[in-house]
Amino acid sequence: MKLDLDRILDVLDKAHTGPVYNERTFNLEVVAKTIQEKVAQYGLTGTCDPANPIPADDDLADRFYQAGFDAAVDIGLLCADTNRTIRLSAAELQAGLDAAPSEFWLGSGDQRVHYRHRELDDPTPPVWTAPLSIAVAEDAFVPMVEAFARVPVIDVLQGPSLETIHGRPLRSGSPYEHIAGRYQADLMHEGLRRAGREGMPLEAIATSTTHIGVLGGYGVEGGYSRDSDIVTILSIADFWTSYESLFKMTQVYVTGGGFINGATWVMLGGYAGGPEGTAVACIAYTLLMISVFQGARGGVPPFDLAYMGNTGGRAQWALSMFDQAVTRNTHVVLQSVVNQVTGPGTKELLYESIVGLTNIAVSGTANSVGVRSAGGRLTNYLTPLENQFAGEVYKAAAGMSREQGNEIVKRFMPKYAAVLSTPPDGRPFQELYNLDTLQPIAEWRQMYEEVKAEAIDAGLPMD
Amino acid sequence: MATDYAAIREAIVDGDADTAAALGRDVAETAENALEAVDTAATVIREVGDRFGAGEIYLPEMVLAAEAMQAFMDEVTPRLEAEAQRSGESRETAKVVIGTVKGDIHSIGKNIVATMLSASGYEIIDLGVNVVPMDAISEADRTGASIIGLSALMTTSMPYQKEVVSLLTELDRRNDYWVIVGGGPVTSDYADEIGSNGWAPDAAAAVQLCDRMMSSGTGPATAPFIGKEEE
Repeated sequence: MKLDLDRILDVLDKAHTGPVYNERTFNLEVVAKTIQEKVAQYGLTGTCDPANPIPADDDLADRFYQAGFDAAVDIGLLCADTNRTIRLSAAELQAGLDAAPSEFWLGSGDQRVHYRHRELDDPTPPVWTAPLSIAVAEDAFVPMVEAFARVPVIDVLQGPSLETIHGRPLRSGSPYEHIAGRYQADLMHEGLRRAGREGMPLEAIATSTTHIGVLGGYGVEGGYSRDSDIVTILSIADFWTSYESLFKMTQVYVTGGGFINGATWVMLGGYAGGPEGTAVACIAYTLLMISVFQGARGGVPPFDLAYMGNTGGRAQWALSMFDQAVTRNTHVVLQSVVNQVTGPGTKELLYESIVGLTNIAVSGTANSVGVRSAGGRLTNYLTPLENQFAGEVYKAAAGMSREQGNEIVKRFMPKYAAVLSTPPDGRPFQELYNLDTLQPIAEWRQMYEEVKAEAIDAGLPMD
Repeated sequence: MATDYAAIREAIVDGDADTAAALGRDVAETAENALEAVDTAATVIREVGDRFGAGEIYLPEMVLAAEAMQAFMDEVTPRLEAEAQRSGESRETAKVVIGTVKGDIHSIGKNIVATMLSASGYEIIDLGVNVVPMDAISEADRTGASIIGLSALMTTSMPYQKEVVSLLTELDRRNDYWVIVGGGPVTSDYADEIGSNGWAPDAAAAVQLCDRMMSSGTGPATAPFIGKEEE
């Protein structure tokens, strides 16, 4: 996919000439106030019903979209390196969304993956990417990639990420990170080769969150491929961006074009306020990330500051409203992410996944990346099995109605609500998998089977 | 003139810095017991912090409340210092140098901790984000800080937290500063392993952590680590 140089230059120009704000003024006077104003203006106050996290009110979703679109125009993205705001007019924002693809392919050979815009209640299976960029020990990295790639329901690989390279601590922003970009590509390709899934699409670059890894590993010989892989651009805080993100876009451009995923999070309880404001902010930020960064795909889900996840009632409601609003009012390939907090080897992690993945499947998303096992807090605390389970839920829920999805979500949310603020860590990969066979131990497999039976009993067609 | 405690509470909860400053001036000029008014304000801001932690109020309200608290304290502090001087007591405000470490430009968690510490009476020197390890030490030297607080939201920036501790140790200055670390991927075990003095799971606990360190009666080089098991 070619990137438009004129649009890139316009964004860079805005990042150096746009309105100036200091941090406090932007966060409080621009972000918080604008979001509050839009929530009031569009009659959205008090519409959140955390006991019914998947609303089925099309008019309400459309009002949220309009509020989000207006907020995107009024707020823009503040560039941390210049303290200037990249602000798009309504026409520029809409033109950017119009130019975004409604479908595209990644990967090569028999591993090609078709991304396409989905509608609400759409039976088209969404694309499942796993795992998230959770750190693992260097010696476990290739076996872990192989184990994940062996799971057929996983379409695309993003993580895991490395803590060390060639035995050295990986330091953000350092030359180590430049090497890490290419190094991770080598290790990922080796894992895919061992699993017999060469050509599987990859998301760049899990190990390096700054641009330096992308400069070292994307579009270079033997690195991540601009034809079959996708670069994820994350940001640092609500409606902020930086040279790091802009460099990632320009690296895609200078290497001949490619695919960009414009993603990040909005903090529920942060400057956007409660669930209604957060849903508006998620919509606005998503539109900006896709339009500003020429995203082939994008999405900015909520993250509840109260427990650093999004599987509780109010966050699930904000997640669904954001997904529904963007799905109904654009043709973009929407990504949404479920942020679990409990750890692998616990049933709670599987229950969180039933809730979150069912929600975003019926709410119209085209793609999700997961699982955030143990909240992503702990090295080696992830396994392929919970990622397999979440992918199976995600695809099984495609085609269900929002009402059906809501009933499933209501049934499983109480099963982990009590531990959201004190989530069990679970157990690491090395304890939950046989490292010779790369298969889960019986205890973890049994939990998977039992919870899967519960999900089927609740109406999810996972059998 | 009787101190209007209800008005102090309302001004802080509402985040009304102008009114809080005016009430602070009243306390400084006319209150019989300024310390009692300060205690009231401190109780209110702790309640605000607890409500934020419970998800009952949101970040803008907490930031504005903290700013109102600061405005109140700015007016009252000179009187408290004068009283302390007259009675021969020393009343020093502990200073905290805080920042997100090099290679990391995430700020929200660091800002929340800085806000809570400031509201709890600490003087904050906020170095912002992408802080070079030696700069954190130099700023602590320059400002006379007692505590260096280091945030990291990425596993790849966590080595710079360790680097600050290593620099202090290698420069034979480990007893000069208490070092506390935090951030999404930073665990209590990691904080202990790198030789920091303490870790806290959230902003409210970070205030308690600093309070414990400041009243410990020992130096940072020899004090036992305060982390998850100690809560």
